[in-house]
Amino acid sequence: MTYSSTVPSRGAGFTQVLNAEWTKLRSLRSTWICVALTIGLTILLAYVAGSGNTTDANDFGPQRVFSVQLVHQPLTGDGSIVARVADQDVTGPDAKAGLMITAPVPAPGGKEGGDPDPRYAAVMVTPGHGVQWQSGFSHTAAGSSDPAPRWLKLTRTGSVVTGYESVDGVTWTQVGTNDVTGLPTTASVGLFVASPPTGLKSIRRSPTAIESSPDYTLSTATFESVGLSGGDGVPITGAWEHLDTDGAPRELPDDNVAGSFTEDAGRFTVSGAGDLGIQPPGFGADNDVVRDSLFGILIGFISMAVVATLFITTEFRRGTIRTTFTATPHRGRVLAAKSAVLAALAFLTGVAAAVPAFLISQPLLRENGFTPPAYPTVSLTDGPVARAVVGTGLVLALLALLALALGAWLRSGAAAITVVITLVVLPLVIGPFLTLEGEAWLKRTTPGAGMAIQQTRERWDDVIGPWPGIAVLCVWVGVAMVAAAVQLRRRDA
Amino acid sequence: MDPTIEVAGLRKRYGSTVAVDDLTFTVRPGEVTGFVGPNGAGKSTTMRIVLGLDAADAGTALVGGRPYRSLRTPLTEVGALLDAEAVHPGRRAGDHLLWMAQSNGLPAGRVGEVLDQVGLTSAARRRAGGFSLGMRQRLGIAAAMLGDPPVLIFDEPVNGLDPEGIRWIRGYLRGLAAEGRAILVSSHLMSELEETADHLVVIGRGRMVADTSVADLVAGASGTRVLLRTSQRTEAMTLLARAGATVAAVDHDAVTVDGLSSERIAALLGEARVPFSALGAHRATLEEAYMELTRDAVEFGAREPAP
Repeated sequence: MTYSSTVPSRGAGFTQVLNAEWTKLRSLRSTWICVALTIGLTILLAYVAGSGNTTDANDFGPQRVFSVQLVHQPLTGDGSIVARVADQDVTGPDAKAGLMITAPVPAPGGKEGGDPDPRYAAVMVTPGHGVQWQSGFSHTAAGSSDPAPRWLKLTRTGSVVTGYESVDGVTWTQVGTNDVTGLPTTASVGLFVASPPTGLKSIRRSPTAIESSPDYTLSTATFESVGLSGGDGVPITGAWEHLDTDGAPRELPDDNVAGSFTEDAGRFTVSGAGDLGIQPPGFGADNDVVRDSLFGILIGFISMAVVATLFITTEFRRGTIRTTFTATPHRGRVLAAKSAVLAALAFLTGVAAAVPAFLISQPLLRENGFTPPAYPTVSLTDGPVARAVVGTGLVLALLALLALALGAWLRSGAAAITVVITLVVLPLVIGPFLTLEGEAWLKRTTPGAGMAIQQTRERWDDVIGPWPGIAVLCVWVGVAMVAAAVQLRRRDA
Repeated sequence: MDPTIEVAGLRKRYGSTVAVDDLTFTVRPGEVTGFVGPNGAGKSTTMRIVLGLDAADAGTALVGGRPYRSLRTPLTEVGALLDAEAVHPGRRAGDHLLWMAQSNGLPAGRVGEVLDQVGLTSAARRRAGGFSLGMRQRLGIAAAMLGDPPVLIFDEPVNGLDPEGIRWIRGYLRGLAAEGRAILVSSHLMSELEETADHLVVIGRGRMVADTSVADLVAGASGTRVLLRTSQRTEAMTLLARAGATVAAVDHDAVTVDGLSSERIAALLGEARVPFSALGAHRATLEEAYMELTRDAVEFGAREPAP
């Protein structure tokens, strides 16, 4: 006489194990306490970030910048200057090389913020925006969109200055013209070069002090066939003088942006940094208001790491892992099901934390000066913002999986939580004691690289892009998962 | 396929400790098979190997002719209670059973049914952390019964039960066996199995000591031993020992004698004029038989088994 089961079964496949693992996770109060803590801590830190951060980026009006390398000589009355810009270093889209006429500039001149109508006119080529015309800081015009090599010409007739460009030095096209009122009879005329900063340069003074300044790079341009003539067309041959109108700040010790000028058989080589024109207000304001409001998830994660590791280590500690593995002998399936339900919970928790964190902090930041134009208003539906908010859920899910895998691997909650928190938080703690490069390397290679998904604008302290950062975190999760799966399969339960 | 557990040539060592050494036995349907041995004899290890939790170094352990890990819905084929303490203290009893049922696609209604069977219906919504050991044993038995399996494995199920609970579980196991299920119950106390088991597998230090029915074991242990009652115990022992018998004192006026027949003993005592009041075959209890068997196999001799 034998017996067989009278209970019907719908099988013991992945769906069933998924159901079982979800029941395990949801049936513990500690799960929901930790989820609430994660959300609460993240929102709290967003509030702190929102109310504690202030900026005066918008308090300064547009800045007039007249920081160029000028190679000039005096010109009295009418006349014109011609040159071929043979070559220009591409140090950014707005590097400038061209011809200028200006009221004599005292050296060093620097910013001309006080003069309502600076007396200069210039025609120039740029690598990114073709041929440009500027007069004062108020008039601009654009010529062709081609970069160097290019012929340029500047003509003065009375107080009217006109700029031309040409591909061959024969056929000229007007780029712009202006009546430069107040231009003295004897003005300075010549060649100029400028290269505005393309980012910030930072050095670490101490663990808590980082100095940042515009990252000026020298741009070198070569001028040929330089010809200066008077109003009667007679060539003028005078000595060229080099003037640096203060091309760049010099606070940084390794800053080598001093301009230079050499002439060799009619070839004029001019190097310089600096800029000519108007800097918009808020220039250099680079706080990432979205990232700042979501960064608290890293603290909230500590609570999620507890849920994630205990999800498996408690089973080893209490012996329920044996019940689990007798019910589901396929151990990889158990790990996969645990991963799936945990990732889903952590993702939703992350998004549930990020959305209110963002919504609470943004009005606070706006009150504290983070307003347009320096800080354009951001909304949840902006692409990068949505990526950061949803990405916060994604990064929390991946970090939770890392914690779970470490738990399954090490079989000890204390060990796994310690390891995962060390991996994620330690770079933030010891980073300041390293060089900037060392810190960047550490942040780029540890699981915290995934936090880059919260970046919504380029900043000097970015160490990795949003998706590459997630990829780094995925590699960590993958390696830990494989180790965990091998260990679960090999070791006795 | 018959519901059976077949263990053949099983070996398992942990480091330098041999836990199971060449163990072979079969658990048959319709019987309660007692799995007996002192603490550390290898009972739990054997059960874990049968359930696919630990890997054997050699040999096979089959359930219904198949390795446990190949079972498609294990809970409907084998029910196991390994450790009553293995419940998350923060989880409700009902949820503990629910996730188990879900993992094997069993109807959620089974949770209430098995709780009813073990008398825990009223505790379904209580967290397991507040359960007594006896309640946890019942919860563990309920978990084993979720899939109504034809093969059942219980490791020390009597531990922590009160006398009423012990009576209940004996009847419960007998009932399950009577339905044709194969049941393996371990204990370190032979007495616990005396009225429950049909068959006994006795192990010590991982080795098979006996694989026998309860009746045969008792008869075997009794052997040709003779019980002698005499007021002159010392003289009797000296005399019989000189005649080649193995003599052991069991009381101030009683000795057991091995190696001589009753007639020969009577003749010897008569010749020497040693008086005796009784002489007859000695009938061993199951406990004595077991002690006899495992005397050499006790690993931790100094430790008295817990009651």
